[in-house]
Amino acid sequence: MTALGTEAMVRMGELQVSRDAGDVLVTIGLGSCIGLALIDRTRPLAGLAHIVLPKSGHDGEAPAAKFADLAVPALLGQLTGLGAIAARLDAVLVGGAQMFSFGSSPTLDIGRRNEEATRAALAEAGIAVRAAATGGSKGRTIRVHVDSGRVLVNEPGSAEVEVYGGAR
Amino acid sequence: MKHTYSDLQLDALRELANIGSGTAATALSSLLGCPVDVSVPNALAVPLADAVEAAGPPETFTTAVVLPIFGDFEAIVLLLFPPDDAARLCELLGVDPATEVGLSALGEIGNILGSAYVGALGTMTGRALEPRPPQTVTDMLGAIVASVLATGAESTDVALVLDSDLIVEGTECSLSFMLVPSRDGVGEVLEGLGLGE
Repeated sequence: MTALGTEAMVRMGELQVSRDAGDVLVTIGLGSCIGLALIDRTRPLAGLAHIVLPKSGHDGEAPAAKFADLAVPALLGQLTGLGAIAARLDAVLVGGAQMFSFGSSPTLDIGRRNEEATRAALAEAGIAVRAAATGGSKGRTIRVHVDSGRVLVNEPGSAEVEVYGGAR
Repeated sequence: MKHTYSDLQLDALRELANIGSGTAATALSSLLGCPVDVSVPNALAVPLADAVEAAGPPETFTTAVVLPIFGDFEAIVLLLFPPDDAARLCELLGVDPATEVGLSALGEIGNILGSAYVGALGTMTGRALEPRPPQTVTDMLGAIVASVLATGAESTDVALVLDSDLIVEGTECSLSFMLVPSRDGVGEVLEGLGLGE
């Protein structure tokens, strides 16, 4: 554990959880994808999922966090494995931008559909969304500090801002 | 659904990218009035996360021209201009890269090169392809590439990426092409080349 913390990269379709107070969970460059952070209000424990698409089809071997409907239970499952309970988790959503607009094709408004599907899956799991930095047309980077539970976001060319201050 | 490609298929796709980018290089060369070299293309069939990494450091601020293709198969052609290279390209064209005019000049280059690339692709595969108007975005490389890959990721976890670099001779200026066919698009391309399953 260092003063600066260890940055753990969460890539497209992946998820990670940590109870190491020195860890920072990071996804660089969320466009239409959603970075879903789940933070335990009672202890240093947090998880981050990098969701790509709203709904799973018949693909049995997809990466754990690829689809919103599977990513939420998968991330929750890993956190409860470390002692979390859903009622004590706060959710923070980042991303879901529409970077390109190729006419009105619904398949291309992936960002908005990702956010809707993620919120629906969280509601089903009984987890409240406490903060969000979503929509628009710009990419974002998310950093989840496991020790404080703070979630920081930056867009290209702007300073990092705190979207969630942590409840601990 | 099949998730891998044979060496022969990847070779054929690489050759396709080679001819496509060669045609685009000729177009760029006549636009700028100086020689343009083409690198040997890569044909990568890798997991989505690896495809994003292969494009370069995700935080790099990049200008991209995104050219969707419709017709007998769907694909997205992505032209990536690293920031310094975008600026140099604008200088070669005599426009200011920090202005709307600069951005629209890059979009126009994207349109011309992309159309040349797509035209070669259509001829080689015997398929009718139609590029739609390009969009120019400047953002984090990772966000651009991931958002493009997401559009074709519904039914597969393998991204097929054909990329090649164009290098303007005598300058430090290069740009890269990425062709991201949709899942069905790859099958159509291979079939057109006589290498279908």
